[in-house]
Amino acid sequence: MSAEPSCHAAPVSRQRPSGRPPRDALGTLTVALAGRPNSGKSSLYNALTGGDAHVGNYPGITVDILEGNVELPSGAHAVIADLPGFYSVEATVDKTTDEGVARAFLDGFEKTGRRLVVVQVVDTTRLALGLRLTAELLRAHLPLIIVLTHKDVLGREGHTIDVAALSAAIGAPVVLVNARDPATKAVVLGAIDDHAREGNDTQGAGHFDAAKVARAVVKDVGNASELRRRHLTERVDSVLLHPLIGPVLFVGIMSLLFAAVFLVADPASSLMDTLIGLARARLAGLFGKNLFTSFIADGILGGAGTVLAFMPQIVILTVALELLEASGYLARGAFLVDRLLRLLGLSGRSFLPLLMGHACAVPAIASTRIVRDPRERLTTILVIPLMTCSARLPTYGLVLATFFGHRSALFRAFIFVGLYFAGILTALVASWTLRRTATKGKGLPLVLEIPAYRVPQARVVARKAYQSGRRFLRDVGTIIVATSAVLWVLLTVPMPGSTAAPGIERSVAATIGRTIEPVTRPAGFDWRINVGLIGSFGAREVMVGTMGVIFGVENAADDPAPLTKRLRDAKKPDGSLVYTTATGLALLAFFVLACQCMSTVAAIRRETGSWRWPAFVLAYTYALGYVAAVLVYQVSALFGLR
Amino acid sequence: MTLLSLAEAVNGRRVRITSVDLEGEAAAWLGAVGLHEGEELIVLRRAALGGPLHVRTGGGGEFAVAREVAQRIRVSTVEGPSEAPGERPSERVGTP
Repeated sequence: MSAEPSCHAAPVSRQRPSGRPPRDALGTLTVALAGRPNSGKSSLYNALTGGDAHVGNYPGITVDILEGNVELPSGAHAVIADLPGFYSVEATVDKTTDEGVARAFLDGFEKTGRRLVVVQVVDTTRLALGLRLTAELLRAHLPLIIVLTHKDVLGREGHTIDVAALSAAIGAPVVLVNARDPATKAVVLGAIDDHAREGNDTQGAGHFDAAKVARAVVKDVGNASELRRRHLTERVDSVLLHPLIGPVLFVGIMSLLFAAVFLVADPASSLMDTLIGLARARLAGLFGKNLFTSFIADGILGGAGTVLAFMPQIVILTVALELLEASGYLARGAFLVDRLLRLLGLSGRSFLPLLMGHACAVPAIASTRIVRDPRERLTTILVIPLMTCSARLPTYGLVLATFFGHRSALFRAFIFVGLYFAGILTALVASWTLRRTATKGKGLPLVLEIPAYRVPQARVVARKAYQSGRRFLRDVGTIIVATSAVLWVLLTVPMPGSTAAPGIERSVAATIGRTIEPVTRPAGFDWRINVGLIGSFGAREVMVGTMGVIFGVENAADDPAPLTKRLRDAKKPDGSLVYTTATGLALLAFFVLACQCMSTVAAIRRETGSWRWPAFVLAYTYALGYVAAVLVYQVSALFGLR
Repeated sequence: MTLLSLAEAVNGRRVRITSVDLEGEAAAWLGAVGLHEGEELIVLRRAALGGPLHVRTGGGGEFAVAREVAQRIRVSTVEGPSEAPGERPSERVGTP
């Protein structure tokens, strides 16, 4: 973080561009998409790049800025960079917030003199608000083009906008588009080309009254539809934001969402489990029992294959959260829960990152940049790992299918939802504690924009779903296959000097697992689970694959039964069951709480700029997980679940 | 034209910001967001148990504003036609 330019210094560029080097001398043109949050930047980015996205490398910027390549009508190439949403380049901001990142980006260009055009995306239906930022960008002498979005909504609302008059009033080129319209790309790229050719020497100085300009250029041409829309929004808000009904509906919607993730994806996961069982038996039948069959069937299929079955859940969850976010409902959720979060030392601003943590903690930790209060932001980062991310789902699914498979799907869905709320509750208690100890101090109260309701764009949602699926597949294809392969070797190679009975019990992995049994026995964990826990220290989705490999190697490919059945039927030498419902519940408790994810640890390191906080998160979540597992196991035993 | 804090404003009644009693940085940021002196507002609703206010500005934006912040924003009540989008008299064509 220390390499970042200070964002507390004077605002971005104060230099006139007249003294800069010739345009072509400084390489490819960079087009920075800028604008307030919810202005339609993501939709425009997709329209321009077709969804092409890779992480750009900008000096002084430690966060991911997506960029895509485009060809301008003139044949020149340009890079479109998608900046985080921000309100101001003049107000002093913390450099770790979205505003700080955007400022550092723009400052960086000023220092290197590289070619840049800023395309400010303005929501036409909130023109006056957008023009305030326009004035700031012009005052900073940034080469600027204004793209007005939501042309369709403006028309539906019974308004027209005088684009030429607006352009003349502010002194910058203006285009009006609808990001869903295929012609948008050509219009915007054409404007960029013109600007790159003609320069910005005639650009305005940004001294205009945003509200006056907005009033002068927007005309009413009939407004019955606008009033209808406004009345509909009012009616929807009067229910969704009702002081009593609103919170009840909110908890209900969230519960339904989590239950749906389970109920829709459960059959898919069971089917995959059965298919893998059959494939293992077929492999053994085709090639006989040998080391190669064991490696493929038990190591790779048993490990990575078992985890693959959980992809539907992860994609469904990502789609559901994206739909809620894009529709404008999540900002309303922040309004509803702000008071509760304030009691716990957070605010409605932390709500979105906390909720996004249910898909994956890594982007959720990055999204805490919308939280302007540094202490609140740190607290949010520290408790996000307690949110039930999608990587926990394979283990939840396996335990529920193993120990509650005989109960109805609804019963299992109920426990599943309970696990989500257990994570949320722990995170809230943890933030209450942290705000009174480690991150003590007065907080900044909430001011949060509530966006208009919008129909989510299918392409944007599909892109998010594709990205989450691809990330999961990449993890399965790399980390989990590698871990499964290494584990297979450790389970096959005997420990030198081991005195255990021949077979898997003599292996290196089993010996290590057995060494820590005295510590984990109070939680009901045996050496197999211990091996799983060690294997999943870096990535918790490895757990299910590890159990698949252990039971695959142990049963030597004789048994085509699904993993759930093999876990349930596993017996000790004395004939008693190895795992009971109490073991399953203790394992769930551990997985709800422990931060078994090195990507999360790295994200916390990146966002806090220190190793102290990731170490703290590892320590407190593992301690909580262990204590909870022991308590759950011992209490379950009291109720006869052992 | 009565002066009061935004937290005391009646739901549905139009008010105009007369001053923002916050330190420089916080006030500047509020201004950038769209809550600045001279801006017209309507309080649409309040969250339960002393939660935030849901306000609509003349610039067309809607915001959740914590009660602590609303208490620092001085407003005066506005009589006569509004300048806020959707509230102008010409926009009431076709309504009963």
